[in-house]
Amino acid sequence: MNLREKIEKHLLDVQKPSRYIGGEVGSVIKDKSEVDVRFAFCFPDTYDIGMSHLGMKILYSLKNERKNYWCERCFAPSPDFEEIMRKNDIPLYALESLDPIKDFDFIGFTMQYELSYTTVLNMLDLAGIPIFAKDRTPELTQIVVAGGPCVCNPEPLADFFDLFILGEGEELNLELMDLYNEMKKQGASRIEFLKRASHIEGIYVPQFYKFSYKENGTIDKMEVLENTPKKIKKRIIRDFDKVYYPENFVVPFTEIVHDRISVEVLRGCIRGCRFCQAGFIYRPFREKSPETICSETKCLCENTGYDEVSLASLSTSDHSKIDEMLTELINYTEKEKVNLSLPSLRVDNFSESLLEKIKKIRKSGLTFAAEGGTQRLRDVINKNVTEEEIMNTCKIAFEGGYSTVKLYFMMGLPTETDEDIIGIAELAQRIVDLFYSIENRPKGKGVQISISCATFVPKPFTPFQFEPQDTKKEIERKQKLLLESVKTKKIKVSYHDSNVSLLEAVLAKGDRRLCNVIYTAWKKGCKFDSWSEHYKFDTWLEAFAECGVDPAFYANRRFEYDEILPWEHLDYLVTKEFFIRENKTAHKSATTPNCRLRCSGCGVNKATGRECFCYD
Amino acid sequence: MLRLRAVFEKTGRAKYISHLDLNRCMLRTFRRSKLPVWYTEGFNPHPYYSFALALSLGFESSCEIMDFNITDDNMPFDEIRDKLNAVMPEGMRIISVAEQVKKITAITKAEYSFSLVSENITEVYDALIELLAMPEILIEKKTKKGIKTVDIMPDLEIVSYKLNGSSIDMIVRLPAGTQTNYNPNLFIDSLKNICQTPFETVKITRKAILCENNEKFF
Repeated sequence: MNLREKIEKHLLDVQKPSRYIGGEVGSVIKDKSEVDVRFAFCFPDTYDIGMSHLGMKILYSLKNERKNYWCERCFAPSPDFEEIMRKNDIPLYALESLDPIKDFDFIGFTMQYELSYTTVLNMLDLAGIPIFAKDRTPELTQIVVAGGPCVCNPEPLADFFDLFILGEGEELNLELMDLYNEMKKQGASRIEFLKRASHIEGIYVPQFYKFSYKENGTIDKMEVLENTPKKIKKRIIRDFDKVYYPENFVVPFTEIVHDRISVEVLRGCIRGCRFCQAGFIYRPFREKSPETICSETKCLCENTGYDEVSLASLSTSDHSKIDEMLTELINYTEKEKVNLSLPSLRVDNFSESLLEKIKKIRKSGLTFAAEGGTQRLRDVINKNVTEEEIMNTCKIAFEGGYSTVKLYFMMGLPTETDEDIIGIAELAQRIVDLFYSIENRPKGKGVQISISCATFVPKPFTPFQFEPQDTKKEIERKQKLLLESVKTKKIKVSYHDSNVSLLEAVLAKGDRRLCNVIYTAWKKGCKFDSWSEHYKFDTWLEAFAECGVDPAFYANRRFEYDEILPWEHLDYLVTKEFFIRENKTAHKSATTPNCRLRCSGCGVNKATGRECFCYD
Repeated sequence: MLRLRAVFEKTGRAKYISHLDLNRCMLRTFRRSKLPVWYTEGFNPHPYYSFALALSLGFESSCEIMDFNITDDNMPFDEIRDKLNAVMPEGMRIISVAEQVKKITAITKAEYSFSLVSENITEVYDALIELLAMPEILIEKKTKKGIKTVDIMPDLEIVSYKLNGSSIDMIVRLPAGTQTNYNPNLFIDSLKNICQTPFETVKITRKAILCENNEKFF
């Protein structure tokens, strides 16, 4: 029985079988005999989540443009199908060819969130690939690689991967495959390939670097074992307007989380919110021209048949030609009966006519990421949103017929006091009061304010990378305080499980000693940690204890400015000096202007050799 | 405006597309085809199309029916078929496009073929003979009002069954349409209940959609 028959034999016994058999419109099928390098692009979560990921769509199409390279998709099976796979010896396979991924040249994972680490191990195991890099064949095949935001601190994963791809992958992936193709033909070995690959800018081969630790547990020094760079620099695309963008997406049969076209309008962020990793690791700020955005939208709509498009960026309203871009886009989407969704949009300075048009298409609710409950705390985190702006926008929205508002906050931020927590409830109360003060408010409806409160997780490559996370006890006390401060049923409060945030902090800021913890936790049955129904915090604690690792050392300890950070050998273009400066400014409750107003010297312009903006 | 009826196949991997997903899939197929399909004129305009019968997940079919409208009265049917087929997913293929003649309510029956496979096929065959000789075949059917016990024997039409190596190839007809729908799995489950030997059902395929007097629907 071939693998496809084996799979099909059991497919009707699992939920949503179309996730496991491929054949979607837009998927790329090639003749194996004409392919030199095969790449399995793996997303360490289920199909429904992974298929929503824009990065995969870009790199999938990019690699498949090359005739002799074949990139296929691979996702983690849901537990029902995993059980069947294990019982019937079905190895993890790629969706295009239905071939086992263990025979591929590259097995590449995208690391989008820390809580997917155990799922990576589980997928390798399901595939029949050795979990540890050191146990893999000396031959040149089965190279296990990873990219994505989490690899800005790849150390907790260092033992499992042959190499990491730092920064933007559009050029780097092809260069890596080209080198592989060349060396494979020469009959080179795995180690020879890894040595050469480590000289490509953006490639980090962890086995060539060795860490030793001080008695107090912090890093003593890092040694470079091979003739490879001491500091590994992330890659960026210089001409972002001309960067490769797919003309087609794989169109799934089953509904996925983000079931629409995404068009990327800009990369990087000018805001500099001090907790936000994305705001720093994707610098410099670059945007696409309105013409490019419109033609990419049109092309994707026509090829996929989707009737919904969403603009992807960290802050769409920071596009310098937002008015022109939206006017053009709305003209097209209205004509073609396409829904345009505009997440993360500030409506402050739009023209009257554009505002009218946007009002027509924005059916979704109103959301503010205020993050902090008081102006003082919002200044600490450099979230340049004032209460006046929130109130003004709410007023416009209420008058326009809205009656629900969603507010995002973080808890456990540096310098936070009880006053800041109570401030969250008070801010929500003032919005409730505002609603009832408006004469032409929506009739017959009450106002509903939802407060969603996440726990602050300090992340590498942010000004808050040095900060400790609040202890579980402290977070739970603050959550209780917030609940008690809310006096009306018109305000609903939800918050994150503090046990999840703790693990996130440990894995985000961890070093190589965590590899063993992750392995132990997976061995004990942890996987899909980001799914609340699968998260086993107690098992994680057992794993920490067995490995002699204290999670508080990573999560709840202040990292000193002069300490060697686990990610210090990686260069994400923003300097440590800048983060220290910003950290000090934060503790003085002072703000830093956005990049468009003034350059604050984060270091990116020095690295790229040009100013990010033209300052007159 | 042309009121059209397409007959299409759903085979191979396409059998894993659920009915709900088929809706979404057709919407995108229409949009990719750029055909001048007629859009509903409500608050949220969308292409208008409807399927005569739902097909269970895992079933293949050579006779699925979809009605839709085209605003261009002069467009040749073959061109419409070809344009749709050019952008259809693997396993889905329009066989023909024609004007709607009969009403959907004229459908009364559907014909299915399938094979029963077992290592002890003669035992399954004996059980089948036994089942067919019974005065009634009671099955439990889920309805909106709860579980109901019905006798499918009066409505069950066995077209053929044949022992073929290690399998039994069967063709049956069961009520389908706007009134009563019996899934062939109901019949197969009844056989499973009286059969001592385990067997597998493979390749359930809807072969025909019929009206009264076994007249073909299209």
